[in-house]
Amino acid sequence: MENKNNPLSPHLQIYKWQISSLLSITHRIVGVINIFAVIIICFWTIFLLLGQENYFPIEIFLNTFFGKFIVLSLCWTFSFHILNEIRHLMWDIGYGFDLKIANITGFATLFGSFILTILLYLIGKNFF
Amino acid sequence: MVQFNLPQNSKIEVGEYFKDRTNSKSIKKVNVYRWDPSTGKNPRVDTFEVDMENCGPKVLDILIKIKNDLDPSLTFRRSCAHGVCGSCAMNIDGVNTLACIKSHTDINGDLNIYPLPHLKVVKDLIGDLTTLYKQYESIQPWLKVDQTGEEKIELKQSQKDREKLDGYYECILCACCSTSCPSYWWNGDKYLGPAVLLQAYRWINDSRDGDKKERLKKVADELKLYRCHTIMNCTNSCPKGLNPAKAIGSIKKMLATS
Repeated sequence: MENKNNPLSPHLQIYKWQISSLLSITHRIVGVINIFAVIIICFWTIFLLLGQENYFPIEIFLNTFFGKFIVLSLCWTFSFHILNEIRHLMWDIGYGFDLKIANITGFATLFGSFILTILLYLIGKNFF
Repeated sequence: MVQFNLPQNSKIEVGEYFKDRTNSKSIKKVNVYRWDPSTGKNPRVDTFEVDMENCGPKVLDILIKIKNDLDPSLTFRRSCAHGVCGSCAMNIDGVNTLACIKSHTDINGDLNIYPLPHLKVVKDLIGDLTTLYKQYESIQPWLKVDQTGEEKIELKQSQKDREKLDGYYECILCACCSTSCPSYWWNGDKYLGPAVLLQAYRWINDSRDGDKKERLKKVADELKLYRCHTIMNCTNSCPKGLNPAKAIGSIKKMLATS
């Protein structure tokens, strides 16, 4: 059929977010952030190796509010990506496709990522 | 290609407002996507005030009422009205489903009705599914057996093998799943989409079929199959309660283990 000038029906604009689609796109975004985070962590280690003087400015930065915010955010992005990746691996072996189970594991991932972030924070604070 | 915004000729404008003339006490506002190919104008969203006291329970009943009483030019596909034919698939309240089995009482507030997402609109609520049908044809949805026509031997199937098709043979190809899939939106020309892949799995999984290996080989493609990222919009939208995501997962697993 010749319909080059026909309009395209709306898609993203009208489609309701599902928990599954929301987690899927978050997984992607967080994955990209993590790649950059790993690069930054590599540089951070290099500065560690260069000795105290070189490391000092970084320590100051990490102790600012913004620095702490970034560290905590990265704790979350890694927690989320790990937990959701477990979900993806389970799908790859063929489990958890049932809609109810997928929704439950979805919410568990979201909830768990925050729990894991808090745990990581407390471990970092030598709480245990 | 990923294009998040609608093209210029697809931007939606505010349409007409059809006020209720029956003085009904129970009124529902229904927003319907309209596009008339003869005018050359952009699509618009018309709002209808529908008298719910004299209207059936399903969304399709509302659409038929609008067509009968308010605007006879409203165009949509429908046939069986019992969730069997899959003609009245559309986007209702943000999720693809069949208008004939979706109850309007499930939806709070205004009712928004759009055509299936990311299709070329033919008119009003009708989208062009030509690509999907071509893709369906490409998976050869028929039994392939090494048999000449003269033998005419009955192809027997055990109950157990038949049960393997449960959850797949029920698909009515309404396209709700495929058009709900963001991957299919961006790569609809190459990615087969959940509906067609579920059908592909149905034929791969049929014990009577003699072409399993060839079928698997054909579908094992970076774009045709692996564009599925388990977003699961398909399973969330299937009006028949089937699970295309699981079917695609099963194909992937078969390919990984064979």
